[in-house]
Amino acid sequence: MTAILRTEKLRVEYRSREMRQATKVALAGLDLEVGAGEVFGFLGPNGAGKTTTMNVLLGFVPPTSGAAYLFGIDVRQPIARQRIGYLPELTYYYKFLTAEELLRFYAKIFGLSRAEMDKRIPELLKLVELEHAAKRPIKSYSKGMQQRVGLAQALINNPDLLVLDEPTSGLDPLGRMKVREIIQRLKNEGKTVFFSSHELGEVQSVCDRVAIIHQGELKAIGRVSDIVGKHANLEEAFLEIIGYSTPATP
Amino acid sequence: MKNIFAVAGIVIKELYRRKDFYVLFIVTILICLVMASVNIFNDAKIVRYLKEICLLLVWLSSLVIAITTTARQIPAERENRTLLPLLAKPLTRPQLIIGKFLGCWLACGLTLLCFYIFFGALAASREHQWPLLNYFQAATLHWFMLGIVVAMTLLGSLVFAAPSSNSTILFVIVGGILFVGRHLDQVALTLHEPIRTIVYSIYFAIPHLELFDVRDLVIHNWPLIPWLYFSLALLYALGYIAIFLTGACLVFRRKAVN
Amino acid sequence: MNSPRPFVLLLLALLVSCFGLAAHLQPQFQAWRGSRAKGDIFNVVLGDSRRMFANQFYVKADEYYHSGYYPTMFDDNAAFQTTHMAADTGAVNDKNHGDEHGFLGPTRNWIDAFGRNFFPDRHTHLDEGGANDDLSGSENVREILPWLKLSADLDPDNVQTYTVTAFWLRMRMNNAKEADAVLHEGLRNCPDSYDILFELGRLYYESYHDRDRARNVWEQGVRLWLKIYPTLDPEAQKDNRFIMEQLTTHLAKLEEDAGNLPHAIEWFQAAQKVSITPGEIQKQINRLKGKLGEEFNPLAKPLY
Repeated sequence: MTAILRTEKLRVEYRSREMRQATKVALAGLDLEVGAGEVFGFLGPNGAGKTTTMNVLLGFVPPTSGAAYLFGIDVRQPIARQRIGYLPELTYYYKFLTAEELLRFYAKIFGLSRAEMDKRIPELLKLVELEHAAKRPIKSYSKGMQQRVGLAQALINNPDLLVLDEPTSGLDPLGRMKVREIIQRLKNEGKTVFFSSHELGEVQSVCDRVAIIHQGELKAIGRVSDIVGKHANLEEAFLEIIGYSTPATP
Repeated sequence: MKNIFAVAGIVIKELYRRKDFYVLFIVTILICLVMASVNIFNDAKIVRYLKEICLLLVWLSSLVIAITTTARQIPAERENRTLLPLLAKPLTRPQLIIGKFLGCWLACGLTLLCFYIFFGALAASREHQWPLLNYFQAATLHWFMLGIVVAMTLLGSLVFAAPSSNSTILFVIVGGILFVGRHLDQVALTLHEPIRTIVYSIYFAIPHLELFDVRDLVIHNWPLIPWLYFSLALLYALGYIAIFLTGACLVFRRKAVN
Repeated sequence: MNSPRPFVLLLLALLVSCFGLAAHLQPQFQAWRGSRAKGDIFNVVLGDSRRMFANQFYVKADEYYHSGYYPTMFDDNAAFQTTHMAADTGAVNDKNHGDEHGFLGPTRNWIDAFGRNFFPDRHTHLDEGGANDDLSGSENVREILPWLKLSADLDPDNVQTYTVTAFWLRMRMNNAKEADAVLHEGLRNCPDSYDILFELGRLYYESYHDRDRARNVWEQGVRLWLKIYPTLDPEAQKDNRFIMEQLTTHLAKLEEDAGNLPHAIEWFQAAQKVSITPGEIQKQINRLKGKLGEEFNPLAKPLY
């Protein structure tokens, strides 16, 4: 299996601005590898280090030590991001632009030709069901519509790796279903999807493999069925792995 | 370069979709028209006071547009989290900084063009002449001066957290340079050491924005500035723009944007 | 309880009370000396600080007179102690000294040397061609008028704004009618001003060629000067001698033109008392005496 995403002993420390407070370790030597065509779930409680890992992978935060690679290229090089799509958890796009203008802007950054843009943008707007609102400014969109614009921009370059940070957060059930459908469709197209989520049922239904981190350390990694093992579902397995014991049932 | 122009394009789009420019432009026109309607000893040929008021408003408006537009660029990207999907694309941080600079500078250029066309029309309505080369020199020097201001503001927006504090500090600095920058060396002579050396060093270190203020030459119909000195002034501005942009890139290079 | 009637009634009662109170206080407010509302818009907005702005605009007019070539507070302004636009009217005592063509001095450093290419760097006067040395465009001096008008509006007690405005309106704009109006407005605001009377006399004499009215206002100016001069402090007395010299010499010339040579000599003798160059005036007196012939008959009755 070719590794699309790889981290080696990745460590991130945040130095406190207050003198007396100790340095906070967000990631403590994380080793991770995601293969081509996988749908990979990245799980952990709040503050576990999921978003930090993504921030390093996308070049937002420099690692304190260790390294991270996308397609075998060090993430510090912008070219590493040429073949990825990214959907942040909560994002507000340029409100003075229309969805079409926004997608055209991002397409320019990826270096798409005018002909490619003219073909790709309507396709994406159709995929996220925003054709009717394509010429409206984004400031007039609902939260769900904004999230769908986000998904469209993440797909503008037809990426080989999609990084999604809690993509269904804040969406209604219909919206969640749509996102799941899109992930499934990308999987069928052979794309790699790396996503974090608190919706463990959703993860169980779409992921091939998952990793669970807690307090910056990798606690478990493997196929969903292997991790669930003897537990009833992924949620129970997750709680046990992070050291939380469920109250005994009567 | 494509990336830089793409970012610059968004900045320009933002400017013409916001109302700041239109408000300032309309206010300038209204004030000038009201001033033009004042009867001064029944003499309709008096024009220089009108040119002065119009240019003063143009300068004030352009500085307001340059500083406020630039000051909010990076902080707004961070606050609205639009910076994350942007930097997740194959766009380098220096490209983003230069794109933002270019967008703000070009936007200032477009607003200046509108303002100077109005100024030219106003002056011509009474003087019945159109000294295009003089206006070209004045507008170009003004635009390059705004380039320095935009670059300074961009650097400030990476150092100071709030756009409002950055704008206020920049207004004070720019105003200070325009009013006393030329005389700082004379001020230094009246001071004691080590303040004298510090003020003298500041005099040589600051960008002398007042060099680009040639309003008096335009108002009083002085002959053209020699083209050699005009070109040197533009080079001088480009030098300072490069210094401030390099500073901004260095500050932004390792800055965490999460 | 939901009926709006009590609130409407209360509102009406408040409105009636406020109106009644305002109507009661208005006459008292009008009579109050500290009220700004009695004056014009500048008085209402700026109060007494308007005089500071007035002075600023007066200097601004002189800056325009020089097409922007003007010293700042950091430069050597010894040659600009008296505004040139006023000094050139001949009605103000010129206190300027030093080099008016090079107040910037030698270049101090490369920034200073380079910067001098970007602002006016030559001493010119608008009535003498201005920045373009266009001698046919002496009417360009009109450009100083807006600032003088604004200065006069802000500080109606500044005599020089009226005399300077009137002089340039008359001399370069050939607009004696407006000059007349300006001077009369000045007289309304400063009725004891012999400077304005002097300028008004020049207007009558030089523009209207009305010798009698000119004589009347100049003589009135002399009378006012004699009344006010003893009340002035020594420094002001020194300054005010100049206008007396101007009044008397102009009266002397007027009388000479009218053929009243003894009167003319009398006025020159009066001028001699206040002049800083009595020798020059003595030459004039000698010239007139020569005209009169060997015998000089002094007037029996003094002129003032």
